[in-house]
This record gives sequence, C-alpha cells and structure tokens, in this order.
Amino acid sequence: MRLSEDPVAFEAFYRRHVDAVMRFVVRRVSDPHLAADLTADTFLAALDSANTYRPGRGSEIGWLYGVARNVVSAHHRRVAREVRANGRVAGRRMMDDNDLVRMEERIDAERQTRRALEAMAGLPEGERAVLELVAIDQLTVTEAAAALGIGKVTARVRLHRARRALENVASPSAVYVKGEA
Amino acid sequence: MNGNFEERLLSALKEEITTRRAEENMTVRTPVRHVPNRRFLGLSAAVAGVAAATTGTLILFGGAGTPAYAVDRGADGSVEVRINEFRDPGELQAELADAGVRAVVDYLPDGQTCRPSRGEPAGAGGQMRVGVGEDGKGIAFKIEKEQIGADRTLVLAITVDRAGADRPPVATSLQVVKGTVAPCEATSLPLPADSSADSSTGEGPAHHTESGGEDDGPTLNTGVG
Repeated sequence: MRLSEDPVAFEAFYRRHVDAVMRFVVRRVSDPHLAADLTADTFLAALDSANTYRPGRGSEIGWLYGVARNVVSAHHRRVAREVRANGRVAGRRMMDDNDLVRMEERIDAERQTRRALEAMAGLPEGERAVLELVAIDQLTVTEAAAALGIGKVTARVRLHRARRALENVASPSAVYVKGEA
Repeated sequence: MNGNFEERLLSALKEEITTRRAEENMTVRTPVRHVPNRRFLGLSAAVAGVAAATTGTLILFGGAGTPAYAVDRGADGSVEVRINEFRDPGELQAELADAGVRAVVDYLPDGQTCRPSRGEPAGAGGQMRVGVGEDGKGIAFKIEKEQIGADRTLVLAITVDRAGADRPPVATSLQVVKGTVAPCEATSLPLPADSSADSSTGEGPAHHTESGGEDDGPTLNTGVG
C-alpha cells in the first residue's frame, strides 16, 4: 500500500477513517488525553504496518481496527508508553481546550458501550476479540476475521460461542442491541 | 493552535511520512551507520579559517550511539568533545563552559532542526574536525585553543533519532556565532540536498553537505555557495 509513502493517499485514508478510529478508541479508554495519544498511535502503527494490508482479505476499516486493537492492548500492557516516549507524534500535545471538550463528548457518548465491553471481560480472549469487533465495532464477521488474522469459519464459531456464553451474563442486552442494530 | 485535533494530527502524520522518507534516503547515503570503529571516520568538517566558518552551519549526518558525553581538556589547551547520548544538553553546555567554551546546545526531536540563522556568523580560527566518535559512537569534535573567540558561541543543534537518544543523530548542525545567540526555533529538517539553499543567501560562502556514497563513511563537502 502506498499509504506510508504517499502523503496524498494517506490523507484520503485518514479522512475516511479518523472518526471511526477515535470512536474505536473512546469505547476502550475514558481519558481524553490518552484517547488522543492512542488515536495518533493507531495511525502511526498503520504507517508502520501498511505493507501488511491485503486489499483482498477484508476492508480497510477491518484492517485498521486490527491495528487499533493492537495499539490499545499494547497500551494496556504498558508497552505503548515507552514507544511514545520516543515518538515525535504525540496525540495529546495536539489537543486544545476545544478538542478536549469534543473528546469528552465522544467518551460520554460511548459510556454504555464501554459498559458492554466490561460485561464481556470474562470471555476467553479469542472469543471476546471477535465479539468486540462485531458487536461493539460493527464489523462483519469477515472483516473481524481479517482484523484478527484468523479464518472466517473460526471467527464465526468463536462469535457463536461468545454470544452463547454471554447469555449467562446478567445483563448482556446492550451488547445485543449494538450488535444487531 | 490552528484547526482541530484531527487536522493537526493529519499534518503531523503527513510530516512523519515525509520525514521517514527523507530518513530512508539519508540512511542509504550514510553507510557510516554500518561501519563504526574508526575515529573521525571519513568525515572531516571544516570550520576552516575565517572563510569556511563564517556561514558556519554544518549539517552532518550519521554516527552511531552509546551513553553520555565527555569533554576533555588537552594539555595544549584544546577541548575534545564526544557526545554519545543526546540528552541533558544543559549539562553539556555547563561542562563546555567549565572548559572555557561558551556553547548553546539543543537536542531536537527527529525531523526537526533549528532555524539556520541563530546570530551573526563568526569565523573560527584554525580548523575544527567533526566526526564520528571513538568506536563509531555519537559525534566527536575538537576545538583548538582559542579557536572560538571570547565573544563567540559554539551553537550546536542535534536532531535526535526517534528510536532513542542513544541512537546516531539524524543530523548535527554546528555553527559559531558572534555575540548574541537567538534561541532555537524548531523547523522541519531540510533534506541534505536542500541544506545548501538555506545558507546560500549571499551572506558568504555556503556549506553544502552531502553524505558520501563511499563505503568508508560519509564525506562532507564545503563549498562556496
């Protein structure tokens, strides 16, 4: 993909997806500064791994969500912080007061989704990953499979298991409403 | 700040793409990264006499890194400086001051350098050699006794590799300024090919830098612009 070499191609890609990436991030973190960092980190990581995108294997957004997912998990593993310390593109430094308010609004808007994600926390990682991308982030099963680098059938099986497991959770309704909307 | 977060992030990322491409080009043209272990490698930069030193901005690419810096005063009054890790510029500045060299040192993030004109360019007596440090780490240079006059300041701006402060610098800018030194105003790092454009504004001879295609390291050409 020319993404990492061509600023014009990158700009088009960025404009197509920046909103979705920010939404993806604020579903998972509730600190506006951190959300800005992770948004920046996701696009940086996309530049780093632009060569891993295979147009035939799924949508751009599916691939990008896969990247975003790694960035967010890396953050949770505290790896990202070190990476960012050396980085030159730090999201939070680009935020002014206005952006802060807008980011907080985004975060508020996803409050319910974050709760739904918490409800899924008990699921095995592989199953949760598929359910997250399908039910929360609205990818198709095919896209989610591509994002996670697994086969379509595997993804479908995991999704099925995850949903069944969630039936036993107290109030999974939020997940279902989102996932089937 | 202009625009909003999304727009600023886009600009920063586009700049990142440009910088990365520039770095790739530089890497190709600076084989020194792969051939350390020779002191003052092929890289001999010239603050040679008044003529060469007057415009004074030398941008050197290359080097290889490890921790810390060292300022050694020679018996002959010379000062030898080795910087292996680009952090704590203030400390280095103080160390240089102790050794009798007034200096302003700035370490900038990858992709940036200081705007070229930091003050009235001054000539330095004699020749200063700037090169890759011992064991190919960082950069090293030697200032001869009284080479930088009493009212002059050595102005050093080093672009630190984004991979870490102990990595080889992406670029090193060295100049000698007479009188007051303007604070560093960060600007995008020009490509090697562009660096001559900044200094060839008729203020005197220009230093054009070029990283060498030779296998034994980069070379630095100084010419009249």
